[in-house]
Amino acid sequence: MREQRRKDAVWMFLTYAFILTMVVVMLIPLYWMIVAATLPQQEFIEFPPRLIPGTAFLDNFAALQERMNYVLTIWNSVFIAVVYTVLSLLLCSMAGFAFAKYEFRFKEPLFYSILATLVLPIQLLVIPLFLMMSQVGWTDTFRAIILPWLANPIGIFLMRQNMRSIPDALLESARMDGASELQIFYRIALPAMRSSLAALAIILFLFQWDLFLYPLVILEDPGNYTIPVALAGLEGTQRIYYDQIMVATTLAIIPMAILFLVLQKQFVSGILAGSLKE
Amino acid sequence: MSQETESTGNPIANPDPSVLDRLRFARQDVAAKLPPLRGQRIAYLLVSPFFVLFGLFLAFPVVYTLYLSFFEWQSVGQGNLFWIDFGPFHVTVPRIAELQFVGLSNYTRLLGDGLFWQSMFNTTYILLIQVPIMIGLALALAVALNASFVRFKGLFRTAIALPISANIVAYSTVFLLLFNEQFGFVNYLLSQVGVSPIAWLTSEFWARKTIIAAVTWRWIGYNMIILLAGLQNVPQQLYEAAEIDGAGRWEKFRYVTLPQLRPVLLFVVVLSTIGTFKLFAEPYVITGGGPTNATITIVQYIYRQAFVHWNLGYASALTVIFVALVSVISIAQIRIGGDD
Amino acid sequence: MSQDTTYGRFGRRRLLKGTTALGAAALAGCIGTGDPEGDDDEAETDEMADEISGWGWDVAARSMELTAEEYNDEHDASVEIEEFGQDAMKEDLQTRLASGSGTPEVSMLEMIDGPSYIDTGAVLDITDRIEEADVYDDFVSGVWESLTDGDDIYALPWDIGPTAVFYRTDVYDEHGLDADAIETWDDFIEQGEQLPDDVYMVNLPENDLDGFWRFQFRQLEGEPFTEDGAVNIHSEASLQVAQNIKDLHDAGIASNLEGWSSAWFGAYGDGDIASLPSAAWMEGTLRAELPETEGDWGVYKIPAFEEGGARASNWGGSSLMIPDQHESAETSRAWDYIRWTTATEEMQLLMYDEYGLFPALETTYDADIFGEELEFFGGQAAREVFAEVAEELPSYRFTEDTPEVSEAINDEFQRMLRDDQTPEEAVQAAAETVAGNTGRDLA
Repeated sequence: MREQRRKDAVWMFLTYAFILTMVVVMLIPLYWMIVAATLPQQEFIEFPPRLIPGTAFLDNFAALQERMNYVLTIWNSVFIAVVYTVLSLLLCSMAGFAFAKYEFRFKEPLFYSILATLVLPIQLLVIPLFLMMSQVGWTDTFRAIILPWLANPIGIFLMRQNMRSIPDALLESARMDGASELQIFYRIALPAMRSSLAALAIILFLFQWDLFLYPLVILEDPGNYTIPVALAGLEGTQRIYYDQIMVATTLAIIPMAILFLVLQKQFVSGILAGSLKE
Repeated sequence: MSQETESTGNPIANPDPSVLDRLRFARQDVAAKLPPLRGQRIAYLLVSPFFVLFGLFLAFPVVYTLYLSFFEWQSVGQGNLFWIDFGPFHVTVPRIAELQFVGLSNYTRLLGDGLFWQSMFNTTYILLIQVPIMIGLALALAVALNASFVRFKGLFRTAIALPISANIVAYSTVFLLLFNEQFGFVNYLLSQVGVSPIAWLTSEFWARKTIIAAVTWRWIGYNMIILLAGLQNVPQQLYEAAEIDGAGRWEKFRYVTLPQLRPVLLFVVVLSTIGTFKLFAEPYVITGGGPTNATITIVQYIYRQAFVHWNLGYASALTVIFVALVSVISIAQIRIGGDD
Repeated sequence: MSQDTTYGRFGRRRLLKGTTALGAAALAGCIGTGDPEGDDDEAETDEMADEISGWGWDVAARSMELTAEEYNDEHDASVEIEEFGQDAMKEDLQTRLASGSGTPEVSMLEMIDGPSYIDTGAVLDITDRIEEADVYDDFVSGVWESLTDGDDIYALPWDIGPTAVFYRTDVYDEHGLDADAIETWDDFIEQGEQLPDDVYMVNLPENDLDGFWRFQFRQLEGEPFTEDGAVNIHSEASLQVAQNIKDLHDAGIASNLEGWSSAWFGAYGDGDIASLPSAAWMEGTLRAELPETEGDWGVYKIPAFEEGGARASNWGGSSLMIPDQHESAETSRAWDYIRWTTATEEMQLLMYDEYGLFPALETTYDADIFGEELEFFGGQAAREVFAEVAEELPSYRFTEDTPEVSEAINDEFQRMLRDDQTPEEAVQAAAETVAGNTGRDLA
């Protein structure tokens, strides 16, 4: 018994040591960005670089806000990403459910063809996509940014993988109780997938949040810019506005941090974990 | 790496074979295929939105790319190709490019294109080192941050995941500062312990390592989140059963966690493989593909052909080959990963 | 080999489907190929559109804003300028040029990119307008070559980059270096060797070795391609430059920081690097980024390869162009604005004064602004140096294959600096790569 307890203590210590080391490694570059956001440009480019925060955060932010309406930019990014995430969550889990839990003809080739679209490099699709969007007059609209990527192959793939762990017996018993297939989907499958949906929400949100080249080409009015598009404007040839870039990046981390904090709470054992009958 | 163990005593070095059998049986029970489910139609309904959206938005770009790969792009087109005028319904289709049909010559050019193969090599090299390291660390973190004795999980998880939200420009700026040969922070730290400066960005060997470090740093949290979510779907009873049979930490990880997590792990492997094959932003902003093209990736090379050299036809052919190749690799991974 | 258009095949197929669907109505002559009748464009008018937009990045965009303000006041028009990041603008603009719609009426175009953009057929030919306005001879003659294809001209020169070495006078003084003693690159190295180990004479950024090569190659009046288009970057001049870059490197006086990185700015700000071979536009950058170094800078002409040799070259420069996808009224307004911006002395001098864009307009060079003694340069009349260099500029043939040249030179020179090959091998390998990739002959 005592032997076991000592082993447990050592194990706990090692686990914490590992977690803390990783957290520190992950946060050093981030910390530096945040420090840079608090320094005037001249101090940031001094050598060796400063590691203690300065007091210029608000000045840097004011300079940024004067150049562009960055608050609006964040709002655009959040709005687009949220709308996209909600719609895409639904479509991806629908398709994922079908691939995980139904047998139908052409199931494999259909799935693999979806997978192949995951490989497409957006960089090369931009020219024809822009051409299409300008023909239908959708340039400079949010729908042009959201719709083409709505059925996200990553999401379909992830939900397919996770939904396979839903026991067929569970679905079958619901059918016996007279539930329709759609009811089974949203009453049983979706609630069972709470943690996976939370992870997928983060993935989808991030996908839109990071999109650069495509929105750069589609969006015209600076009032419609998303964060990466707006930030690209701070990189000139003769001057790179490190101070403003760092402030903008620091602020852009906040919505993501909130999203993580909220969604990671969903990472609790769902009903599946307890659904297995002995 | 720990699943919480509170009560069990008697850890045994070699679990009784019957334990393993029971675990395998339990797993089979979860995954057991019941008779094929009803509702082909409902299945088609559920997958149709993808194909509708794809047909509307991406089919044309994809077909266009395929088509373009047999042509040499000469110049921008002028005027309109044709028009339809029918009352309120009025469409003019512009002539978008002057193209010259070149048959398969874009494809044969690719075979002898040293830089293309170099970019292929670089990407594969980065992939083979980076993906295992990243997934190993992400898995370890996910298991650690799922252990019940660990406190402040939410904060730790968020901290690990935050790097993915950092804008690429800011993040490359910081990495350039960290890894600069003469003035960088990393070499400063190394010099304190007597290591001579390392050319992180300017030697072919180290530049690839720097890219690997950067990519791993940025994407580790992403993979951890997916794995963490997957862990929630592992039935607790399996751990309990294992404990009753005296399985230790490693046995539980090896015989419960890993097999149960397999579909999600497979997903992470496939996604990371594709993701690293498509690697673009990190080398673009950190090393610019250098030194001497040691870090130029496939997509970066395609991008350069299209947007620097205006070789849109050739870039399309490269894309076609790239997509075909990576699709085959991904499907092979899924097949080998025991997906059925 | 058939000429075809991308839309050709799809178009026809779609057309057939449409025909079935629309039935008789479609057959009633409402579908046609080419341009709808009456919509025949290029009906030249003198009418000018009220609103146009222009794209640029950084100080160039702000300079355009400056002239647009004046222009709008004077001409009752609305020229709107949008500022981008450099890479962002190129990506956006190229996509729009390639897909035939959505470009601004006016855009900046770097000289180095001139031929490859012109080659796409997406830039408007403005030869007639330039002739009509009779402004050709007002510009420095060396600038036209990159903006011309045969006899046709596609852009108006805007700014140029007469070269000079910027140096930290305080650092030179502290370590006993004498800028006046530097006439040749050998002198430059000799002076640099007096610096202590942790202070560098110059920065040789590995990612921009082609920039270093090009300005010195131009200094020696080298041309990357011969008259008939053969690759000539393995010429004697190119070899001399390669050797020089290698000498600078091997002397241990060069640091290796990515240009414009924060570490690079930091090193110049702190005086860790003493000299910066660059061009006139660098003045604006230094003033903006390193204001605390005011008074600590000086400039001298770039060193010659041999005593009495040429000390003038050009680095950078840009032009203004009009994408060829707009109605004639818009085009006329765009022309009027770019002419106003680049070809009027007042505007050129305004932009130079405000943002340091060195005028390509030769007629401005006797203005007072060039003789001013500048605080930033410790009282030196630095702009006089640039103006002298500008008048000696050798012309240079950029081509649509310039990106190939840049990449090959950069790669092979990196290998050379790593001692994997000699300068002879480096220039030979670079020439062969370019010839192989472009189907050109070797000179």
